[in-house]
Amino acid sequence: MEKSRISVRNLNLYYGTNHALKDVSLEIRGSAVTALIGPSGCGKSSFLRCINRMNDFVEGVRVEGKVLLDGENLYDRRVDATLLRKKVGMVFQRPNPFPMSIYDNIVYGPRLHGIRARQELDGIVEETLREAALFGEVKDRLKKSALALSGGQQQRLCIARALAVRPEVLLMDEPTSALDPVSTRKVEELIRNLKKKYTVVIVTHNMQQAARVCDDTAFFLAGELVESGPGDVLFSRPKDRRTREYIAGRFG
Amino acid sequence: MKTETKHPHSGSVMADRRKKNAAEGIAQTVFAACAFFVILAVVSITLYLLAKGVPALLQVGPGKILLGTVWKPTAAEPQYGIFHVILTSLAGTALAVLLGVPVGILTAAFLAEIADRRLAAVVKPAVELLAGIPSVLYGLLGLTLLNPLIYRLELTLFRDSPDHRFTGGANLLSAALVLAVMILPTVISVSETAIRSVPPGIRAASLALGGSRVQTVFRAVLPAAKSGIATAIVLGVGRAVGEAAAIALVAGGCVNPPFPFRSVRFLATAIVSEMGYAAGRHRQMLFTIGLVLFSLLMAVNAALTKIRKAGTGEHG
Ligand SMILES: Nc1ncnc2c1ncn2[C@@H]1O[C@H](COP(=O)(O)OP(=O)(O)O)[C@@H](O)[C@H]1O
Ligand SMILES: [Mg+2]
Repeated sequence: MEKSRISVRNLNLYYGTNHALKDVSLEIRGSAVTALIGPSGCGKSSFLRCINRMNDFVEGVRVEGKVLLDGENLYDRRVDATLLRKKVGMVFQRPNPFPMSIYDNIVYGPRLHGIRARQELDGIVEETLREAALFGEVKDRLKKSALALSGGQQQRLCIARALAVRPEVLLMDEPTSALDPVSTRKVEELIRNLKKKYTVVIVTHNMQQAARVCDDTAFFLAGELVESGPGDVLFSRPKDRRTREYIAGRFG
Repeated sequence: MKTETKHPHSGSVMADRRKKNAAEGIAQTVFAACAFFVILAVVSITLYLLAKGVPALLQVGPGKILLGTVWKPTAAEPQYGIFHVILTSLAGTALAVLLGVPVGILTAAFLAEIADRRLAAVVKPAVELLAGIPSVLYGLLGLTLLNPLIYRLELTLFRDSPDHRFTGGANLLSAALVLAVMILPTVISVSETAIRSVPPGIRAASLALGGSRVQTVFRAVLPAAKSGIATAIVLGVGRAVGEAAAIALVAGGCVNPPFPFRSVRFLATAIVSEMGYAAGRHRQMLFTIGLVLFSLLMAVNAALTKIRKAGTGEHG
């Protein structure tokens, strides 16, 4: 196996007294798709938010342990969380475009980070929309409201928006759970393409989806990482009884 | 799971049409009656103002009134020019909005997005209380606290200008400042509500793109709340345009073109201050002023309706 891009070591996360992640250690490969699976409430989203430190905004949260990205501990006091989030993008469960034009949605991030030149912004818009397989559908209405797009288009716009700040890692929290099957298929196809350039970590509680898009899979249960490894292995020959039962459809 | 749970008999689902129709009918009549009274009030106010205000407007001539600059209603040859009064209302409101709105929006953003919950829990009721203070009290405070300060400023600024008519601090600037404070509660509470109703996903999106807290507020949250904030501004404008009591105490009261350090008269105060003794044509003219004020407020309301409509359209 190649060297890992992200290593999580003995990660513990508490929301007040709720111990939501229990001593989780996981290696995540670069240029691959890692799927996090497990029943609702097992801590998948919490884990994901540790990788871009979105948990910082939750009141009363406490994180122990290390998350190393290219060898740097993200929870080191010297880390600038905004720079981290530029490097580690995130796509959310519900499409959350800004109530602005499609164009302004995409350039929001680049503008935050100081890009002003019109030509450069135009270039970013076209490039990321193409990457998100949306350009053809919206190229004639870039100045129209993003809210007029369908749910599936909105989610691909959100992916494009995340890509526009040139991240290296992309975190996706159940990105298709609010979408219809056709849109879901499109987004999945997109995810498979993204791994050429990005390290993708995706939460899903849809196992077929995990099997379709992932290289590696990690199974969480009640805040613990039960088992992880290459997806095909985990799905066909799970080592742990609980993994076997979950895959057979016996939990949530 | 048991499948043969017995369902208790709950009767027929067919409506008892007569009983239902009677209740619906009564309710509809009550609603219609209430709506009728509201419309009656609006229509009668409008008609009354028109009936009282239009004759003088036509007899003296709209041009002479609206564009005339001399207001001498009791002279042997009376003149009824209210151009400066209109300008004063416009300029005073604009200045108040310019001063009050940024402060109000920033306060709202601070309360909704940045202040911790305990601080917000103290400040919010205070703002609401501020909204409930009768406007004449704002005038009194302005008179006793603000006017002397503005007078001092006036003394320094115009030390070397012998032609300046000193106002003692009762001038357009004071009036605009008092108005600015008066519109704050409206602007703050309406914009705060708008800001709080921005979906959390908008903030998360901005933060996840590497935006700071402050960048997120200014670039994502406030733009997302813009139609609500526009409503706040228009409501503030409405309050400022119609205000009379507070202004009467701090603006000086002379009919002058609106400059910051001149004693000025607003539309609303023009009515209040002379109605006590005005008679005949003069009295009619005050109704004409009322009509002008009414039209201004209608314009403000129309703007509000337009914003609301736009708000429900494309950009939330
Ligand atoms: N913002 C939060 N504040 C407090 N508790 C939270 C928060 N988010 C998640 N939790 C708790 O942490 C646990 C894991 O939740 P989550 O990470 O959302 O699980 P999943 O994404 O697998 O459904 C749950 O018990 C949940 O109630
Ligand atoms: Mg989740």
